[in-house]
Amino acid sequence: MEQNNCHTIKCVTPLDMDFPDRLRDIPDCPNVLYIRGKLPDPKRPTVGIIGSRNASQYGLNMARHFASCLSDAGVQIISGMARGIDGVSQRTAMEAGHPTFGILGCGVDVLYPKENRDLFMRIPERGGLISEFPPGTQPVAKFFPSRNRIISGLSDILLVVEARIKSGTGITVRRALEQGRDVYAVPGRITDPLSAGCNRLIADGAGTALSPDVILEALGIYPENVPGTSLISGGVRENDKRVRLAKDEKMVYSFLDLYPKTLDELVCITDLSVQKLLPVLLQLMMKGLVAEAGKNNYYRKSQG
Amino acid sequence: MFSSIHTMSINGMAVQEIQAETDLSEGGLPVFEMVGFLGSEVRESRERIRTALKNSGFLLPPRRITVNLSPADVRKSGTSFDLAVAASLLCAMGIIDQKELEDTVIAGELSLSGEVRRVNGILPMARKARDAGYKRFIVPKDNAMEGGAVEGIEVIGLSGLKQMVDYLTGSEKVESTVFSVEERLGNRSDTADDFSSIQGQAAVRRAMEVAVSGMHNIMMIGPPGSGKSMMAKCLPSILPPLSPEECLEISEIYSVSGLLGKDGLKTERPFISPHHTASAVSLSGGGKNARPGQISLAHRGVLFLDELPEFDRQTIEILRQPLEDRKICIARANGTYTFPADFLLATALNPCKCGYYPDRNRCTCSENEVHNYLSRISRPLLDRIDICVEAREVSFAELAHADRMPEPESSESIRGRVEDAVKIQKKRFEGSNLRFNADIRPSDIRKYCAIGVKEEHFMEKAFHKLGLSARAYHRILKCARTIADLDHKDKISTDHIAEAVGYRAIDRRYWGGAE
Repeated sequence: MEQNNCHTIKCVTPLDMDFPDRLRDIPDCPNVLYIRGKLPDPKRPTVGIIGSRNASQYGLNMARHFASCLSDAGVQIISGMARGIDGVSQRTAMEAGHPTFGILGCGVDVLYPKENRDLFMRIPERGGLISEFPPGTQPVAKFFPSRNRIISGLSDILLVVEARIKSGTGITVRRALEQGRDVYAVPGRITDPLSAGCNRLIADGAGTALSPDVILEALGIYPENVPGTSLISGGVRENDKRVRLAKDEKMVYSFLDLYPKTLDELVCITDLSVQKLLPVLLQLMMKGLVAEAGKNNYYRKSQG
Repeated sequence: MFSSIHTMSINGMAVQEIQAETDLSEGGLPVFEMVGFLGSEVRESRERIRTALKNSGFLLPPRRITVNLSPADVRKSGTSFDLAVAASLLCAMGIIDQKELEDTVIAGELSLSGEVRRVNGILPMARKARDAGYKRFIVPKDNAMEGGAVEGIEVIGLSGLKQMVDYLTGSEKVESTVFSVEERLGNRSDTADDFSSIQGQAAVRRAMEVAVSGMHNIMMIGPPGSGKSMMAKCLPSILPPLSPEECLEISEIYSVSGLLGKDGLKTERPFISPHHTASAVSLSGGGKNARPGQISLAHRGVLFLDELPEFDRQTIEILRQPLEDRKICIARANGTYTFPADFLLATALNPCKCGYYPDRNRCTCSENEVHNYLSRISRPLLDRIDICVEAREVSFAELAHADRMPEPESSESIRGRVEDAVKIQKKRFEGSNLRFNADIRPSDIRKYCAIGVKEEHFMEKAFHKLGLSARAYHRILKCARTIADLDHKDKISTDHIAEAVGYRAIDRRYWGGAE
């Protein structure tokens, strides 16, 4: 039976020519890498996107937004294929048809976590799954900090989307700094524990990822004809001809942002009754402008 | 001498006619024997009756006394036979004329002093007695109000054995107890919990209004302290008023359970809120002599399950059949009992273990924990919940400045709209056995919830966009029907459907998923 290329496991050591140069010069370089799919293209820039597993709706949206803009500009997305930020950024890149690379804390033939089955199956088609642990290794908590050094090692820039003050993300950031990589963080509200880690990084001197353009510029990419990707809340974008909204819809939409609001909060802000508001929200959802997180929690969908 | 007196026995909710037969025979040793498949409490009644007769001034003759409760193959339980057996003895002794009691049913417990004590199940007994063509029903005085609700039978409440003899021999007159159920229902007392005491929570208010109007089952999700339980307690204040027929139905269940007070009727819809440690049998009903469970006590009212995921899974699963059939059938070794159980199920739960999901900045649960928490509720149960809504945490400012906010709408004004919607439904379902929109069966959906082409198209689009399951289809239509009724509209519009879609039940794919 002919075996598909993406299901065979390759193995490279620092003695091999195709061992990533990015990893050669980091402290405690892995002695071996097991790969399903391929290794990142050394000629193309790479960005590691990391963040909390239990991310907020804002974090998930930001991850999606950055992953989509960066991978469209030809950047290879590297991440840990965990739940939350990792998975979302890789899924975004993968679904847009761009290569993305998952660095695992277990064998490359072990599916973990189970929710990411789609990533596990499809990433090797264009990108690759990489691990320093031999095939068959089960995920154990102590393996994850060490795989973090490979994530940062393979990335030209490390982007932290959302992190608590004390988290695994912190470990990756420290390794990145040891390895001399630039670290960028997405700022958040100072009252959100999930953004506290990022805001702290910015205060400590990390780059402020105000938009994907900031990262692209740092990589020396100046994309042309990229539409303005402003996510700043407010009215509907004037130049957006794709959707036409009724008056109420415009009003409700302008009150929504990336932080989910409950139905009740919207009733208070908009002064519409529940029976008026629900149809408006459903219309907005059907137009793809608004999504629901949990039950009756509405947020503005990013139009990245 | 031989005598036979009519009495009744209760089995579950079913009433059976029983004959208390007595024979006094000469010869042999004096003895007082009771037969007829008696439970131990019925066998003990021999001593009660003997002493009660003595203390009322009637000595048992030193003869061979045999009492039989017929039919003798039905197990007798309960203490309601005492008075009938005593009457039967008195007839056999020639103190009362047997002819006096031809069209009369007697039930009641005796104390040693000869007092008549209250028993359970007088209301269904009175109904059965009337239907069987009896003219008079002698009951304990404390139960007289229960029987008085039944028209077409003379109900006599007596307080002692001596009084019964005096009454039956004509030396004392006792007025029969009678009153009109409608009149009693008219003066509705104010319940303590009123929606006017609740600030904000527009979403839950509206959802409850819709739920109550069509008797849809409702689920509230929200963080701890968002007032879910408080609002559930306000539910009874907006429930549509009871019809006399419903009032008697509920009162019968309470009568059998011995939960009716002296006023003898349950004039308000019940609100039953069992703690989450409740056992399966306490909810479903059962036991050796089957008694109605909590779900039957909630008949025509609200069964509120707070902290739904904390309930034992087995306990919750027993709700599935009653929610479908509106009654519960309990099969035990000594018989099968059917209890009515047509209730509005209201449930409240936290969205996750810590209670703050989906606010990730406060929720400390992992996606798996969130998922596991919800999966304690079974899919089939979720499928029976038409309306699902989020309760928001009330901010400090809202509580502190309540006096500066506009006065929240009172239950009375909400109830006005609910009553209108109920009237519309009553007219719609005339001639069918349905009562509320929630009762509409899938086969009748087209008949009662017909929608136009435009609405059909809209619904299709919404289903496609939101990835709704086909199961949700009927629930949304039924709910939209109720919303249209509240709107006094004959035709279901897209706005009604859209609102119903907003109340759709939580879907696991969106709950605890990666995105």
